[in-house]
Amino acid sequence: MSRRGVLNWLLGTSIGATVVAALYPVFRFVIPPEVAEAPVNRVLAGKLSELAPNSGKIFRFGSKPGIVVRTQNGEVRAFSAVCTHLNCTVQYRPDFQHIWCACHNGHYDLQGKNIAGPPPRPLDAYKVDIAGDDIYVTKRA
Amino acid sequence: MRALEKLWQALDQRLELAPLVEFATHKEVPSHRHSWAYYFGGLTLFFFLVQVTTGILLLLYYRPTAEAAFESVQFIVTRVPFGWLIRSVHSWSANLMILSAFAHMFSVYFMGSYAKPREMTWWSGFALLGLAMGFGFSGYLLPWNELSFFATRIGTDMVSKVPLAGAWLLKFLRGGDEVTGATLTRFFGFHVAVLPMITAALLGLHLALIQRQGMHVPEKLAEEAKRRKPIRFAPNFMLRESVVWLAGLAALAALAAFFPWELGTKADPFAAAPAGIHPEWYFLFMFETLKLIPAHVLGIEGELLGLGVFGLGGLIWFLVPVLDRGSRTGHRTRAFLVLGWLFLAYIVSFTLASMAGVFK
Amino acid sequence: MTDRATTAALVITLAAAAALAAPTRTTVGAPGKHAEDSCVNCHAKLDDARLREPAAEANSDIHHTQGVSCSGCHGGDPSSDDAAAAMNPAKGFVAKFRPQAIPEMCGSCHSDAAFMLRYAPNIPTDQLQQYRTSKHGQALAKGDTNVAVCTSCHGAHGVRPPSDARSPVYPTRIVETCGRCHGDAALMSRYGIKGNEIAEYKKSVHYAALVNKNDLSAPTCKSCHGAHGATPPGVSSVSNVCGSCHLSQRERFDQSPHKDAFAALEQPACESCHSNHAILHPQDSWIGIGDKQICGSCHSAGDGGATAAGSIAAVLGKASSAEAATLARVQGVERAGMLMDEANVKLEEAHQAFVMAQLEIHTASAARVEAQTKSVLNALAAADKSAAAAEAEIRYRRSGLFVSLIVIAFAMVLLILKIRAMER
Repeated sequence: MSRRGVLNWLLGTSIGATVVAALYPVFRFVIPPEVAEAPVNRVLAGKLSELAPNSGKIFRFGSKPGIVVRTQNGEVRAFSAVCTHLNCTVQYRPDFQHIWCACHNGHYDLQGKNIAGPPPRPLDAYKVDIAGDDIYVTKRA
Repeated sequence: MRALEKLWQALDQRLELAPLVEFATHKEVPSHRHSWAYYFGGLTLFFFLVQVTTGILLLLYYRPTAEAAFESVQFIVTRVPFGWLIRSVHSWSANLMILSAFAHMFSVYFMGSYAKPREMTWWSGFALLGLAMGFGFSGYLLPWNELSFFATRIGTDMVSKVPLAGAWLLKFLRGGDEVTGATLTRFFGFHVAVLPMITAALLGLHLALIQRQGMHVPEKLAEEAKRRKPIRFAPNFMLRESVVWLAGLAALAALAAFFPWELGTKADPFAAAPAGIHPEWYFLFMFETLKLIPAHVLGIEGELLGLGVFGLGGLIWFLVPVLDRGSRTGHRTRAFLVLGWLFLAYIVSFTLASMAGVFK
Repeated sequence: MTDRATTAALVITLAAAAALAAPTRTTVGAPGKHAEDSCVNCHAKLDDARLREPAAEANSDIHHTQGVSCSGCHGGDPSSDDAAAAMNPAKGFVAKFRPQAIPEMCGSCHSDAAFMLRYAPNIPTDQLQQYRTSKHGQALAKGDTNVAVCTSCHGAHGVRPPSDARSPVYPTRIVETCGRCHGDAALMSRYGIKGNEIAEYKKSVHYAALVNKNDLSAPTCKSCHGAHGATPPGVSSVSNVCGSCHLSQRERFDQSPHKDAFAALEQPACESCHSNHAILHPQDSWIGIGDKQICGSCHSAGDGGATAAGSIAAVLGKASSAEAATLARVQGVERAGMLMDEANVKLEEAHQAFVMAQLEIHTASAARVEAQTKSVLNALAAADKSAAAAEAEIRYRRSGLFVSLIVIAFAMVLLILKIRAMER
């Protein structure tokens, strides 16, 4: 091939490579990721079949913990698991049949209200939706 | 290649493409020692095209409400494949576009290219610069983070100082009395619909005028330009421009990789303004100047006076093709050359000084 | 006379005397009924402020609005407009009560359960009984009239229920009320009390919670000392008082060697390390036998306690600095635009475990503290792993961009060569 031909070929290839390098991210970008929505307000907290009455479970809500509780008579409730006193993660105590914080002995009833100990405010309550066996928890606006 | 030729023939038979092609390519770019300045216009156009492309891509995921804007940008940057790249390129290209636009404007000024018969080109260019800064100002709010919220509040506060129309202008810009989600939606509308529409029209005019009138050669360089062979626009100058444009692309890639644009913290209208709030760099010289003016000067409110002076300066700059009588006959008045250097020195020194923290 | 008749006569006489001596209750209206009497009407118009004030405060006084008018305490005849008749000592009128008489006077209603239940279903009626056990009550019985009586804290006129925010005994105002005497060092020195307790309490986290966060459950003077039975908790009761909220710490303290040791020395429990009034936020740096460190008040270098303190301080310090380092790393990566939800959850877990480790300090067992700090370090390790992955992603992006820069540079060079070739 002549020098000019080589030059043209190299030029074409490098321009082509540049175009590919520029267009590849664009093509990847336009296909949405697995989690198609900005996931801030709603999570799948767990399965109904795995949550016995008079028990609770910690789940992750974004970067904060949440707690889903099943009462003695089967109702499912969900709250923020961040204790309003000094931000420890609360837990469900089947012996008290309500929510308890290990750090300074704070107690919350099944409405999330602070009933004993240092916590100054109730736990934020979340909305619970049951779809089949799935427990969905949504933050209230 | 045969297919392309056949396609060309088909279109030519229907649209008579030859004169159009001739119009688009007949231009010749003069060759002299300051020919490098001729690249800035095209470079600005390149960055603008990058903005349109990345902007449309961002539109696929962005949500223009106070509740979701920040989260949607976070989503783009953290979850969408190459979202971080598209977003950072968009933010950096905005800055580079304005920088390039200023370089283009000043090089045009110093070459005296605003002179008759190119007044309309200068005027449309002036408007395009204003539109670019409008793009920057409206776009800056869209990520809805702390910095952008407060910068917008301060920036829009300025317009309320305009006499008579101030209150109306403020309401018009903010979509209310305060900066809220309504402002965000409105700015979004400006940014993706209103400004692009006006820009497209003016840009078309600007480019058509250049094609029609050809390139200007400054008086001092006329001899050199006559001596040296001019560069044919197509394909020679276009190839050269491609090199410049590729350099611009490389710069964007490097900036996006090494200086990714931050997310910041979500805007909280009730929080106190963080210390050291300032607008984007291309507004800094105005920002610092306004801060220097005392609250009242001879009974007039300081900020109003400042705005008035800027308005007057802008008007002079705009009317330069008319005010510079000498330029009409090809001999630009020296005073305007000096004025240009003063403006440039003022803008550059104040911008750099502000960045260096001299005004703190 | 027969015995029965004598007894009856005696009883009747005594009853009459008691009725005359005690404040009359005949002027008590039905609960909730606003009593009208001549006292307020006259006194409201007087020039002397001291005599006018009680009348002005009548409408904000709970006794008055509940139907127990001036004469309910002061006696006299409220129906008469004539001053002499209204304020007749023969009708049981008392103008100003001696301090010694006040507790009995208030208690004559407030200790009568049957009477008080007319006004509220769950109202306490043990105040007088408690008061008699208190230091104030005991001193008063011995004739000291400088101590607090009912009116000193609750007011005499314009008395509001303790749940009313304007009452001097509302939780946020108790400190000021007690402080009227207990903040006076000269007065307190007569009783061998330092007098700095109020000032000390105001430095505490409890006071801050009460005043800044409006946390009404935060302990104030009455929470530890009792409201009516105001007595400092004795040595044995200190940890009972603290432990009523800080149950976890108290349980662990009870498992520690300190419990029996302190009891044997008759040393207060919680107070020894945390102070009683100026209870500040505890610092990990307190642990040790050095200067400004607590353990050294009893332990000396080389003994078991000092060794334990050293180990505890060491493991806590290690966990604390690891936490700070990981937090900084995660925040740095977050600022660069990476999503760090997983890492943040682990950081929360780590912090949680760290607080639990601090709880274990009360067991005085280095092993138990270390077990908790191990959880801290594990959670931090997971967060670090996330951060490292994010940092690797950032590096990967940079190298990807670097490759594309090479490609672009290559294309630029070739374009230039092409231009040169064309224009030769």
